Amino acid sequence: MKNYFKCLYNWIDERVQLEDLVKFMGKKYVPVHRHSIWYYFGGVSLFFFIIQVTTGILLLFYYKGSSDLAFESVQFIMSKVQFGWLVRSIHAWAANLFILSAFVHMFSVYFEKAYRKPREMTWITGMLMFFMCLGFGFSGYLLPWNTLSFFATKVGTDIAGNVPIIGGPLKVFIRGGDDVTGATLSRLFGFHVALFPGIFTILLGIHLILIQRQGISEPVHFSEKPASEKKTMPFFPNFLLRDLLLWLIVLNVLAILAVFLPADLGIKANPFASAPAGIKPEWYFLFMFQSLKYFPSHILFADGETVGILLFGAAGVLWLLIPFWDRKSSRGEQNRFVNYLGLFAVIFIIILTFLGWLS
Amino acid sequence: MKKKIIILTLFFFSALLFGQKKNEASSDQCFICHESVGSTEADLYKKDIHFSKGISCADCHGGNSQTDDMDKAMSKAAGYKGVPKGNAITQSCIRCHANPAMMKKYGSKIPTNQYANLKNSVHGRLAINGSEMIVQCITCHNAHGIVAVDNPASPVYPTNIPATCGKCHSDPVFMRAYNPALPVDQVQKYRTSVHGIRNAKGDPKPAQCVSCHGSHDILSVKDPRARVYPTNIPSTCSHCHSNAEYMKQYKIPTDQFANYSKSVHGIALLQKHDISAPACNSCHGNHGATPPGIESISEVCGTCHALNAELFSSSPHKKAFDERKLPECTTCHSNHLIITATNKLLGVSQDAVCSKCHKPNDPSKGYMVAKEMKQMIDSLDSSEKNDSALVHEAEQKGMEVGDALFKLRDAHQARLESRTMVHSFNEAKFNETVNKGLKVTTEVKTEAEAAIHEYYFRRIGLGISVLIISFLALLLYLYIRRLERK
Repeated sequence: MKNYFKCLYNWIDERVQLEDLVKFMGKKYVPVHRHSIWYYFGGVSLFFFIIQVTTGILLLFYYKGSSDLAFESVQFIMSKVQFGWLVRSIHAWAANLFILSAFVHMFSVYFEKAYRKPREMTWITGMLMFFMCLGFGFSGYLLPWNTLSFFATKVGTDIAGNVPIIGGPLKVFIRGGDDVTGATLSRLFGFHVALFPGIFTILLGIHLILIQRQGISEPVHFSEKPASEKKTMPFFPNFLLRDLLLWLIVLNVLAILAVFLPADLGIKANPFASAPAGIKPEWYFLFMFQSLKYFPSHILFADGETVGILLFGAAGVLWLLIPFWDRKSSRGEQNRFVNYLGLFAVIFIIILTFLGWLS
Repeated sequence: MKKKIIILTLFFFSALLFGQKKNEASSDQCFICHESVGSTEADLYKKDIHFSKGISCADCHGGNSQTDDMDKAMSKAAGYKGVPKGNAITQSCIRCHANPAMMKKYGSKIPTNQYANLKNSVHGRLAINGSEMIVQCITCHNAHGIVAVDNPASPVYPTNIPATCGKCHSDPVFMRAYNPALPVDQVQKYRTSVHGIRNAKGDPKPAQCVSCHGSHDILSVKDPRARVYPTNIPSTCSHCHSNAEYMKQYKIPTDQFANYSKSVHGIALLQKHDISAPACNSCHGNHGATPPGIESISEVCGTCHALNAELFSSSPHKKAFDERKLPECTTCHSNHLIITATNKLLGVSQDAVCSKCHKPNDPSKGYMVAKEMKQMIDSLDSSEKNDSALVHEAEQKGMEVGDALFKLRDAHQARLESRTMVHSFNEAKFNETVNKGLKVTTEVKTEAEAAIHEYYFRRIGLGISVLIISFLALLLYLYIRRLERK
């Protein structure tokens, strides 16, 4: 058996010089310190993305992206297609866990200041992928065309419509008209399965190439240590195998969730019905949705909700551009302000999400 | 001596009181003059209740009734208004009739809210000329010969009301201007009703227009506040029909409302506010209200239960019922106290209505057919119940059973159809319908059981997968440890 693998390896190596790649990976080292655990969340996010692509393709075999057939096609997947229920449940659960692990990965990179020079581009591509994750969540949520997803999309696009100047055209662009209709479903379906995956794959490629090229970032306190005191582990095979181990554990959790708490389908959307009481967006938008509720209807001469959206927009831009304004960290100095800001963001998101969930 | 003084004093004040009244009327120069020239109005006014209360012509027409100088009496300076027109008529009336203090002064106990009610009523709307209410007080009460409501001469005395209302409501030309869709044959129908026949004979007790529609406060039948709005009809009818004392002389039961309230129709209308459910008038008629005859019962019920009536009419029971003069639907289902039809009605048990006529020694095959039909419908019933439990169990386990749930509705529909088909009293037709339902229930059962089986299969599958993945993870963990020990 071993010989067969060896033969196959040699066959590929003769053609694409696999040995060079193995040597390159063998030279790569991952810093070992008390915060090393956070390094694994990038890999976990990647694993969830792979699951999403795989299950997404399987669902595409049966899903029909029109308002007349979407709900029925998902119902068919759930009841008639062999293991369709499992594929859909895993897709739904992995989507949520993907966003959760992306959140964790983003904050771990933030607190470790891994965005500092020369990894600005890695941070930017990562952040863009994070925004795309939210876009995946938003566009995918409508696809089953059930009552909850229909009205949540209505509320979500209404909020987008409040963005000054571009809000109106943006809302019409997302909805494919003035209201949430079958045109919105077709549009979001297109975004979800073609446009977003295409852009995401390019960003992911750049992100991974940059990581391979620049290596794993060392935290400030670690990089200050003399070389003899720096503890590391080879990326290949040690770190990769540990990554694989975590992936297996995550797969187990995912399987348990998919079987014990399968994704439900709800009731088919009826555009003429009134919205159910207490309609809420998905948990990852909840903190923003809840925050907007606390804004007064008017702040000076501006609409309160518009001010809220602008503030979130400004916060997002500041967050995205942190490698460029956090000069202290780039110089290897401690920046307490950035730490407190991150801590505030984490507490804010947790509390507001909790309040939104309670309301 | 003391007694004499008291009697004399009383006599003196009585003379003063009655003498004053006489003086008031006799000193009304308008009346004196108009009577002397033979005016019809003055002649009528002599019989008017207002005349007896000392109300002068000037109280409605303005002017000075104390002078015999016509120019002075009918001068604008004296406030002479002439013949009031449009809403001014009602305004003249309500100066007193909407004023409790004024009415008390004349010793009247009649309510003072008539105008408020009239204004909010369907008659208080603007007339087609756009300047006045459709109805003024004098439209129903007349102008100069107004007498008390309980006076048989009054146009609003119970026996006169149909004619009074009919003045407008039986006039197609007049009614077309306001509501072209409203029939104008109400009085005509009313005269054929039990109420109308008695009313025409001079009995003031049976219901006439105002008994059901109200008098000053008449609202459109579409208005939920109206006494004749579907949900209010039973209580409107029961106002008289549940009053044992009032109905005593007519010798008819007074438990109809109590029974109806407990019936499937009453619960639908009164508790669920389903206005498509029948009220009293749906079976008895409204203006032509009369109990339906034995022959017409199935026709009356058939207006809603069309299929049941049709099946019954072509069934062998039709002839049998007609021969025995049995009322068709009500023999089995009762009349006012119609309860939800269950399978219990069918069969040969003591509660079953079939057993009232069909006995075990029945020479016809009715007894056996009833018994078999009951067994069949019970079998469909229990299959549907079992299927429902199975489907819900699968649903609670988180399984997708949309198809089975949909088919379950088909089974339910088949059961309802079977119940309808009972009215054909044809075993073959009935069995065909029940078998259709049983076929659906078999399919539902198969699907529900498969879903439950799938549920357990998933858990076993998960258990095996988790074991395999955990085993792989364990192997990987051991391999990593061995690798890192080197």
